[in-house]
Amino acid sequence: MPSAARAALPLGVGLVLLAAVGGCASHASPGAAPGAGATTRTITVTSSADACRLSATTAPSGSLTFSVSNAGGDVTEFYLLRADGTVVGEVEDIGPGLSRDLVVQAGPGSYTAACKPGMTGEGVRQPFTVTDSGTPVPSLQSSTETDAS
Amino acid sequence: MLANFLIGLREGLEAALVVGILVAYLARLNRRELLPALWSGVAVAVGVSLAFGALLTFGPSGLGFEAQEALGGTLSILTVGLVTWMIFWMARTARHLKGDLQHELDGAVAVGRRAVLVVALMAVGREGLETALFLWSGAQATGRGSAAPLVGAALGLAVAVGLGWALYKGSIHLDLRKFFGWTGMFLVLIAAGVLAYGVHDLQEAGVLPGLGSLAFDVSRAVPPTSWYGTLLKGVFSFSPETTWLQAVVWVLYVVPVMTFFVRIAWARPRAGAPARPQPTAVTAA
Repeated sequence: MPSAARAALPLGVGLVLLAAVGGCASHASPGAAPGAGATTRTITVTSSADACRLSATTAPSGSLTFSVSNAGGDVTEFYLLRADGTVVGEVEDIGPGLSRDLVVQAGPGSYTAACKPGMTGEGVRQPFTVTDSGTPVPSLQSSTETDAS
Repeated sequence: MLANFLIGLREGLEAALVVGILVAYLARLNRRELLPALWSGVAVAVGVSLAFGALLTFGPSGLGFEAQEALGGTLSILTVGLVTWMIFWMARTARHLKGDLQHELDGAVAVGRRAVLVVALMAVGREGLETALFLWSGAQATGRGSAAPLVGAALGLAVAVGLGWALYKGSIHLDLRKFFGWTGMFLVLIAAGVLAYGVHDLQEAGVLPGLGSLAFDVSRAVPPTSWYGTLLKGVFSFSPETTWLQAVVWVLYVVPVMTFFVRIAWARPRAGAPARPQPTAVTAA
């Protein structure tokens, strides 16, 4: 189906753009030193109607995976926020009984983790600390959280 | 199950409605030979989304947040461009119509196979990855012993497709001018919503400022997880917590495009005097 293949171009372009952006958590970080600290840390998060339980409230800087499961009866979402309230990462539409991952590149600093059952309001918040692991953190933005190193 | 049903419905609704309108166009224009192109666009979008979603869900690496937002934002803006082109094309088509003379369209309307395919591809592909990730997380839950979330999501998507089909069935018998006029106005509102949604994505990614300054917050009156919140979000990408930038961009899109569309598509042609003299119109009159 040559015409279909040709029209797949926009999506293809999107995927290439993705690769260029370097968003894949474990592979696409050529700058990351192999060995200690290069692996992805996983923090499990359990969101319920009135609680947001994290398996750890501190993690070393680098690539972090928040594995968020919804134990409540309403749709939930999870945010990692910087001290100034801007969003580091967010995963939404976690239906009851589902579990979804949020992958972020986080530099050292103080953050806030928030579960938002019902996907509205401030949500259930708690502090989250990222310590300096020495791993360089790739960032797209004129990052507020990484001291450009 | 209901909550997952509503997510499935919301994710599928906008794409189903746009595809429904597109199928109805092709049927009304007697261009049914373009339907295979349309369905291959849909199939490619669904296939690529599911494959990529599976890779991210079950593969060794997840997709970073920035990359996901950048992809979502980019696809949204491309989709708005394509749908806007489709709206202007409809406005031109509607202007050429006098009553319900189908054959006049044949010369006036040229729409290519590629265009149809790409519009269908983008309409479905825009939210495709997000929907695929949601479905695969349902599949994972099924693996852990609970099929309810996946069943709910699949039923929601099925209802969305059903509503797209109903729109097709409902609009297919409208007077041709009315058909183009109404579906075009509907598309203007859909596209404006997608644009505002894309702006919000870029605000969350930190590319655009102003995430914290809300123009209004009606999330108490319209909870995002309610059925009406779901429908508003699914069709018009309405966000109960809308930022000022989103609101301004929405208005800046809707006002000129809607004005332009209504003036062209709904301009009443004086009887016997078409807006542009055409050989076919003369012989028909």
